[in-house]
Amino acid sequence: MPRAMEHQHPQAFFVRGPSAFARLLLFAALSIALMATDSRLHYLIEIRQGFVALLQPLQMIANLPTVLYGNVREQMVSHQTLLEDNRRLSLEALQQNAQLQHLRALQEENDHLRSLLGAAQSISQPAKLGEITHTGRDPFTHKVVVNLGSQQGIIAGQAVVDGAGVIGQVTRVYPFSSEVTLITDKDLAIPVQAERNSLRAIAFGHGRDNTIDLPYLPANVDIREGDVLVTSGIDGIYPMGLAVAKVTRIERTPDSPFAHIVCKPAAGIENHRQVLLIAASSAATPTGAVISSNTKPSEAARHATHKP
Amino acid sequence: MRPISLKLVYFTLLLAFICHLLPWAGFGLMLRPDFVLLVALYWMLRAPHLCNIGTAWLAGLAIDLASGGLFGQYALAYAFTAFVAVSYQRRLALFNIWQQAGYVFLLLLLTQLTLLVLKLFAGYEAPGWHYFLPSVSGVLLWQLAVFSRLSSNHPKHQS
Repeated sequence: MPRAMEHQHPQAFFVRGPSAFARLLLFAALSIALMATDSRLHYLIEIRQGFVALLQPLQMIANLPTVLYGNVREQMVSHQTLLEDNRRLSLEALQQNAQLQHLRALQEENDHLRSLLGAAQSISQPAKLGEITHTGRDPFTHKVVVNLGSQQGIIAGQAVVDGAGVIGQVTRVYPFSSEVTLITDKDLAIPVQAERNSLRAIAFGHGRDNTIDLPYLPANVDIREGDVLVTSGIDGIYPMGLAVAKVTRIERTPDSPFAHIVCKPAAGIENHRQVLLIAASSAATPTGAVISSNTKPSEAARHATHKP
Repeated sequence: MRPISLKLVYFTLLLAFICHLLPWAGFGLMLRPDFVLLVALYWMLRAPHLCNIGTAWLAGLAIDLASGGLFGQYALAYAFTAFVAVSYQRRLALFNIWQQAGYVFLLLLLTQLTLLVLKLFAGYEAPGWHYFLPSVSGVLLWQLAVFSRLSSNHPKHQS
């Protein structure tokens, strides 16, 4: 048997077709052309989408083991655990209902005040519930894939949040799934403001260690450890006031004009499966026209008149 | 043994691709060996008339599409590794199992280094040392496959 195997090798001595080096040159040239086209010209979006749609059945097969495991585990949950969960959840629902009533009163009051001021009404943006099917394939980018795609009306640029705060933004949409870049990714920036003193800044993902950086802030900036950063809503993508991160460490070195501020994301980026995809508001008006201090009253009025 | 058919090569590559698509996360993702490359290397060293640089390039393209990164980086890295693997393929018959494993390890490292260079050009941050863990796990998987064949079947190459 092994002899028979080795007898196959002599076939390879008579190489048909071009030499190995010629093949390498051809394929290297092809790949470099593809890379250039993809990174500079963006011609390959449709091809990618088509292929990912084709890949969907394979992906479902690959996801089967985890789905089965989840199902089996659900079957094994004991009666006692379910009862406890039920009790806890109904208690939570009761508490949250009470808070919600308070919130409704506040919202009405807020709307009334806004109309008195002539400011734009804050828009409540519709959201869709999606589920994370898997994390990205590349361990060095922070991405997850969600089971909603262009067939469900998802478009690139939508904000993605979970119960605790912002997770990231939809960066690529395929027919039945979409790719979400997490806020810890190096390429994602998000406009934030500190809850304590409304200091505005832009947060960048760190790319490693699941942290977020606040670069380009002067060393004497008024930020303390423990400050909560929320979305400022200036970009028109993220609704205002969603929790983003908490400042965990501030380093001020004498040789740098900037403070080195490290934050920890508020959302459970690593451990949630269900996420909300928030539809981008059609008119990208700053919802907090009155609150953001640098918007002049005339601008606020103009925004108000732009609103239909 | 039956001669290796082209169907078998593509079927095993498909299986490896499904392994690649499994929902890896966290530490598993960091450790995940490069299944497709391992299978492609196996066939390239075993039957280069069926699986050559072109096959490796196509496999790399599939990985590129699945990973959603820059299109063509895996294809280039795989084609380059395949070139090295195929050029030294005939000498491999003289190697024993451990030398083969070392050779495969070097090939896996070469792929990762090529990818690293391409990624750094594309503006990625330099990763830590754990970037090279998949090469280690890959060569362990290779040895595991070789040993399981040894115990159940027959020695592949004995020097």
